Amino acid sequence: MLNPPYLQVRDLSVSFPGKDADFKAVDNVSFDLAQGEILALVGESGGGKSVTSLSIMKLLPEASQLAGKISINGIDIAKKDRRSMENVRGAKVGMIFQEPMTSLNPVLTIARQMTEGLRRHMSLSKKEAAEVAKASLLDLGITDPDRIMAQYPHQLSGGMRQRVMIAAAIALKPAILIADEPTTALDVTVQAHVLDLLVDLKSQRGTGILLITHDIAVVAETADRVAMMRNGRIVEMGSVEEVLNAPKHEYTKALLASHLSVEAGLKIRTGGSGRRAQ
Amino acid sequence: MTDIVQRSRQDRSASLAILVGATIVAALVAIATFAPFLAPYDAMKMAAGPRLSAPSATHLFGTDEFGRDLFSRILLGARLSLGIGIAAVMSGLLVGALLGLIAAFSSRYVEIAVLRLIDVLYSFPDTLIALTLVAFLGPGMENATLAIAASLVPFYARVTYALSAGERAKPYVEAARLTGIGSTRLVRVHVMPNIGHSMIVMATIGFSSAILSAAGLSFLGLGVQPPSPEWGAILASGRNYITKAPWILIFPGLALCVTVLSFNLIGDSSRELFDPRRGRR
Amino acid sequence: MLYLVSRKVLLALFTVLVVIILSGFLIHVVPGDPVTTMMARSVTASPEAIAEIRQRLGLDLPVWRQVGLYVWRVFQGDLGTTVRGNEPVLTLLMQRLPNTFMLAVAGLVVALLIGIPLGFLAAVNRGRLADTAVMVVAVFGVSVPTFWLGLIMIQVFAVKLGLLPVAGSGWRNIILPALTLGLTHCALVARMTRSALVEVLGEDYIRTARARGLREHQVLLVHALRPALISIVTVVGLLFAYLLGGQVIVENVFSWNGIGRLAVQAMLERDYPMIQGFIVVFATSVVVVSTLIDVLYSFLDPRTRMQ
Repeated sequence: MLNPPYLQVRDLSVSFPGKDADFKAVDNVSFDLAQGEILALVGESGGGKSVTSLSIMKLLPEASQLAGKISINGIDIAKKDRRSMENVRGAKVGMIFQEPMTSLNPVLTIARQMTEGLRRHMSLSKKEAAEVAKASLLDLGITDPDRIMAQYPHQLSGGMRQRVMIAAAIALKPAILIADEPTTALDVTVQAHVLDLLVDLKSQRGTGILLITHDIAVVAETADRVAMMRNGRIVEMGSVEEVLNAPKHEYTKALLASHLSVEAGLKIRTGGSGRRAQ
Repeated sequence: MTDIVQRSRQDRSASLAILVGATIVAALVAIATFAPFLAPYDAMKMAAGPRLSAPSATHLFGTDEFGRDLFSRILLGARLSLGIGIAAVMSGLLVGALLGLIAAFSSRYVEIAVLRLIDVLYSFPDTLIALTLVAFLGPGMENATLAIAASLVPFYARVTYALSAGERAKPYVEAARLTGIGSTRLVRVHVMPNIGHSMIVMATIGFSSAILSAAGLSFLGLGVQPPSPEWGAILASGRNYITKAPWILIFPGLALCVTVLSFNLIGDSSRELFDPRRGRR
Repeated sequence: MLYLVSRKVLLALFTVLVVIILSGFLIHVVPGDPVTTMMARSVTASPEAIAEIRQRLGLDLPVWRQVGLYVWRVFQGDLGTTVRGNEPVLTLLMQRLPNTFMLAVAGLVVALLIGIPLGFLAAVNRGRLADTAVMVVAVFGVSVPTFWLGLIMIQVFAVKLGLLPVAGSGWRNIILPALTLGLTHCALVARMTRSALVEVLGEDYIRTARARGLREHQVLLVHALRPALISIVTVVGLLFAYLLGGQVIVENVFSWNGIGRLAVQAMLERDYPMIQGFIVVFATSVVVVSTLIDVLYSFLDPRTRMQ
């Protein structure tokens, strides 16, 4: 970690009011994320990972109660009102979601959805924004961006939609990208491509990435550091080599035991075979 | 997640609405039942007071163009409205439910034929259907009630069909069928109890529609005929004197509003509370 | 897409056919003899005239033949003649149909202009005071009898304030009846808008839009309202039917020279051919408009458009 942490989370707790008792989704969670590194947040569904990421973006529903401190680029976001948060979202902290099927608006064209963020944050004209969007799509390896941009989400495949989402997010050049299970809904070949993309983002653009996943093989292949989350708490955190080679917590051990490809992943990583070399 | 909080808030207001609605309805039923005793004057008696006099201590709602006490007339009008409402809803519900059940539990051809027919009728507003029928049947309270009942049939048929179709797909129906049970028995013993409470909710919704239709028909001169004090009829006959005696316009209309409102409150809120989709979010 | 459209058109034709058949049949609903009842108010009620009319209407034939005759005539554009003046029913109705449509559209516009913003307000403030307030107003709105509201409007605006003329069919006269119609039906629009918006606001793509840092009003107006409006279009067809139905009474209250007023007069005079003609014309109008709106909806939603 060469840079001071862009994102700092300290003692974050999030609870939701329930019928009888409040449900604590996140319990005293702390971590840092700097630019130029990938931190993986691992755990099962319902473990509090998505809630954590939504808290960072201040996108939680109103009824939630939040305690703790989240700082983005040194500023405590609790102090930010809605308007300044709207400036942070997308431009400073980007987010891509798990479900490409439902995460794009079905009645707007791809072009519209990709350019609106650009026009909003960078004050580009319609034409300029379209050009930037096109370039972003090309970066992702999409060879006919013009055709794609003219279409509607339902005309694209799941993998294509996810790539469009990622392209839209990184076109805004955020310092941090939160990727919430970006590959879960995709098939294997596209998964690999997307993961490569994320690593490239980190190394070439210096983006800090918070990678949320339940798949520990993905962690082994891609992340620098990892935090294991269970029932809203972080039970273990450290560099990937440390945690995966010498797990201390029961949960981590159990998770590793059920995954055969972790070793393969580690090998690919540390073996320096070029694909994921640091 | 927020929904849990909002749900309980919504539930509370829905329950409150039902309570308010039910209270008003109870009061109305009481009024309708005891109207002749509650009314200070004979509702039909002309010159019970000076013509077109404003509301006062002796005539709470004033008098109409014939000197009849408006308050008494409105009290008795409650009887008419509720009476027509009950009669129309019950007959309409009976026939409609029967049709709906037939459609749901008969052969495919019967189902399609009945449904198509019902759908055609359903696409037209029920007041208009009632009006059309009354046009041919002739004016009068009985004909109006019959016409309104008929206008409610498509609605009830459709609702019953939808509910039955929902039940039809459930395991307990399949299980019952496997025992070789006949359709009539199946419906009577197994299905009806399960859709019963939804039907009650639907009955209240039909009620407000029936009362509005009755008032509309009477207003146009095709329903209850004067001098019967049906609220719509009162509005029609007092129409020319509205400038001189605005109370003739205000009170019957208010009575209608309050009555329809109370039934709507019950119906809408019950629907919200018992919405089968609740578990979704 | 073409398949969908042709299906809707077929359904429309079927509906109109059923209505025509029912309309032809309705004359038998009359207790007693329809012809004598019809002619009871007419001056020329001689036995010859009665027999002649009976034969003309085919009432001396068995029921199914009479209905068949009626349907056949309707297909040829012959809706019969009025009892009163022996004028062709179709002509009379067609003369007034534009007026009715004008009022219906005006009422629709008012209902949408009031209802959609109210529903929007309620959805955006879901669970809070504004939401409850709007919904309460909506329940009240649905409970007010249309004709009563019309009378009150006349009383307040035309008589007391002298702002607008009382009766007639000019463009100035359209304001009050349109307002009456619109106000009565805006509650339905508000409710539909609210539920459509609430549904849309719960979708993932709204979350994506917010995560992109778009201003909240952009999210609401562009990402939420557009899909919601498309859903609302489906209601407009239904709304139009209700509107036209309520219009029969409104035309009467405001002496608006449309087919509704004509129909009620016919009903009071037992002019059965006219009533039947009204049923056919009314139903056809409703069905045509509903089908058009249905087809429009298919165009608006990109997902169905492409099929």
